Amino acid sequence: MSRFCETVRDKLQWRRIFPLLILLCIVPSACSITPFATSSSASGPIIVQLFYHSGQEAERAALSTTLQAFNDSHPHIQVEAVQLPEGNYIDQVNVAAMSHSLPCLLDFDGPTLYRYAWSGYLVPLDKYIPSQMRDDFLPSILQQGTYNHHLYSLGQYDSGLGFYANKQYLRAAGARIPTIDSPWTLSELNSILARLKHVAGVQYPLDLNMTAGGGEWITYGFSPFVESFGGDLINRRTYLSAKGVLNGSNAAAAMTWFQNLFKQGYSNPWPVSDTGFTFGQAALDWGGHWLYAGNHQALGDNLLVLPAPNLGKGAKTGMGSWSWGITSSCKTPDAAWQVLNFILSPSQIARMTAANGAVPARKSVIAQSQLYAPNGPLHVFALQLLRGIAEPRPITPAYPTITSAFSEAVINIVDGFNVKTELDKAVQKIDQDIQDNEGYPTRQ
Amino acid sequence: MHLPFRATTSTITPSKILRRNRKERYLSWAFALPALTLLLIFLIIPFLLAIYFSLTNQRLAPEPLPTSFLGLRNYARMLTDDTLRRALFNNTFFGIVVVPVETGLALFLALLLNQKLRGMSVFRAIYFSPVVTPLAAISVVWAFLYNPGQGLINAFLKAISFGHLGPYTWLNDANLALPAIMFLSIWQGVGLYMIIYLAGLQNIPQSLYEAARVDGAGRWHQLWYITLPQLRNTTFFVMIATTVQAFKLYTQVEVMTQGGPGSATVTVIWYMVNQGIHHLHVGYASAIAVVFFLLVLIRIIPILRYVVAAEKREE
Repeated sequence: MSRFCETVRDKLQWRRIFPLLILLCIVPSACSITPFATSSSASGPIIVQLFYHSGQEAERAALSTTLQAFNDSHPHIQVEAVQLPEGNYIDQVNVAAMSHSLPCLLDFDGPTLYRYAWSGYLVPLDKYIPSQMRDDFLPSILQQGTYNHHLYSLGQYDSGLGFYANKQYLRAAGARIPTIDSPWTLSELNSILARLKHVAGVQYPLDLNMTAGGGEWITYGFSPFVESFGGDLINRRTYLSAKGVLNGSNAAAAMTWFQNLFKQGYSNPWPVSDTGFTFGQAALDWGGHWLYAGNHQALGDNLLVLPAPNLGKGAKTGMGSWSWGITSSCKTPDAAWQVLNFILSPSQIARMTAANGAVPARKSVIAQSQLYAPNGPLHVFALQLLRGIAEPRPITPAYPTITSAFSEAVINIVDGFNVKTELDKAVQKIDQDIQDNEGYPTRQ
Repeated sequence: MHLPFRATTSTITPSKILRRNRKERYLSWAFALPALTLLLIFLIIPFLLAIYFSLTNQRLAPEPLPTSFLGLRNYARMLTDDTLRRALFNNTFFGIVVVPVETGLALFLALLLNQKLRGMSVFRAIYFSPVVTPLAAISVVWAFLYNPGQGLINAFLKAISFGHLGPYTWLNDANLALPAIMFLSIWQGVGLYMIIYLAGLQNIPQSLYEAARVDGAGRWHQLWYITLPQLRNTTFFVMIATTVQAFKLYTQVEVMTQGGPGSATVTVIWYMVNQGIHHLHVGYASAIAVVFFLLVLIRIIPILRYVVAAEKREE
């Protein structure tokens, strides 16, 4: 070592390299000190930044067409869109919030909104939205956009959830075709599944789309079963505890029934692909509106779209999808509303819902929709949202914990674990989180 | 005054040497400075922050509740956390099985592939290829291989046992999920350590073997008294690397099982990320990080001390 130092010293004078080293260390930090370019100079256009999740190809294309149209028609406002991968969109937004680098406009997946609203990251939209426009939105959109008596978010579309059915198989099993006024009951559904199991060609009567893995599908798709049994994910009167609700007798009955669907071989717990229904191996497919295009292509006229079942305490189905909000760190909220107003205009909603097949958020657009208008094939999904059959997921900032606790429990229950134990564990996680956050107090 | 130096020539006075020593010391610090700066920014400061966070109820979305000081409550909670206990057990179990098996297998493959036969490089490339494949991609593929209904592994077991074995539910079975992940981890990692062993083998002077043969040592004796002792440092390195791999187990769990079924495949790192990012409990996740750091230190220090002691003995 010392010989090495000596040789170096002979060649390079120590005094000469020292300033160089100091410089090397300072340069990177100096770069980060340079102030950011101010976002809008006095003369240029106002820049509105937005974050959105990169969903399906068609959805992305529709949104960028919308934003391009906005930029072309509004020379004073320029939209800058940042696309983030959907898989960990929520994590990235959380991190952006913590580091105070949220954009003006943000889209988020349904119930994650309450966390942001509670944290004060969003501004209420009440003062911006004219009552005429408000009345045109689906009640479900307004219901789930509202937290603590303020409307915080509006989406271009809502979602629909129900059964897709193979008409031929249902006929072979002698099943009644249900309607929204008279959906399948629990005993009826059970006997249909039992009969379908013996229909030639059917491997698993019911496809529950378990390939979607963990994630939000579990809560979105299966909490309606719990609610239809009379249980829930949390006590919605207080939002302070899940005790006696998620691990109450109704929820336990629901999850026991659910576990039996797999035990009795009615549903495949570990499918390799999601082609069970389209390949004709499953007779029923419990899924969202997003499956319609593929199912319709595969089954054609043999496809039926049916309402959610009534498992005891009334039919229940899911609602909610991606929606938009304006952040409180936005320096130009009026310009942000102009952008949002444009995104939510009937023509842009029609463009988006034509691309992704979702339920249009505004009644006036539904009336024009090929899929959802009264004679459209998916009209039943629109009716479920209009008639209050769809239930919002819990409206509380504790939602991130509720959904992960519930979906962990469901996955274990599917794998054959004890129902009551798993629900007790989920309740404990949820209650612990609420306690840690002092009951999520709201400012009035 | 005693100075820690060795005078070599009589013309250098102690004060000159002192000056030179000081200069050398400065110079060595200057060389270390860039690395130290980066370590400070990306390792030491975040770790100090983690220690601070672990004493608070810091959340990922901190507003509107003020972040408050909890003292040691996060640490007390860890004592009663069953999932965390299971995670520690899983990491330990993973380490106990994977470290010796992977090390032994790597050595075995290296010995096998160290022969001077044609086509050896093809085999080396085959064993090495999983190492250069992204772990996330491997995990996705293996999740399909392990599928209970249509997976290749069940089909293979059924075929070779004439229908007596299986079908197993692998990743959905609380007893098989962790071993299934171990198996794939060994398969994925063994190629790298095999290459390291190959390099070690090629460093052993041939003269030692020649001398041994002259003395009448058989192949087994050569392996036991020459190859293995000569590979001691390589083995230490491989053992440390596989131990660290066992502690860092995350990707496979995240992609394949999400810690399930039950908490059969929860690992400490996975649980930490889950608590910090999904449940937003940065404070609690930090407390786990601090404790886990100490545990890793306790595990690694004896190995390092043994290596240092062994090197001293050689000198």
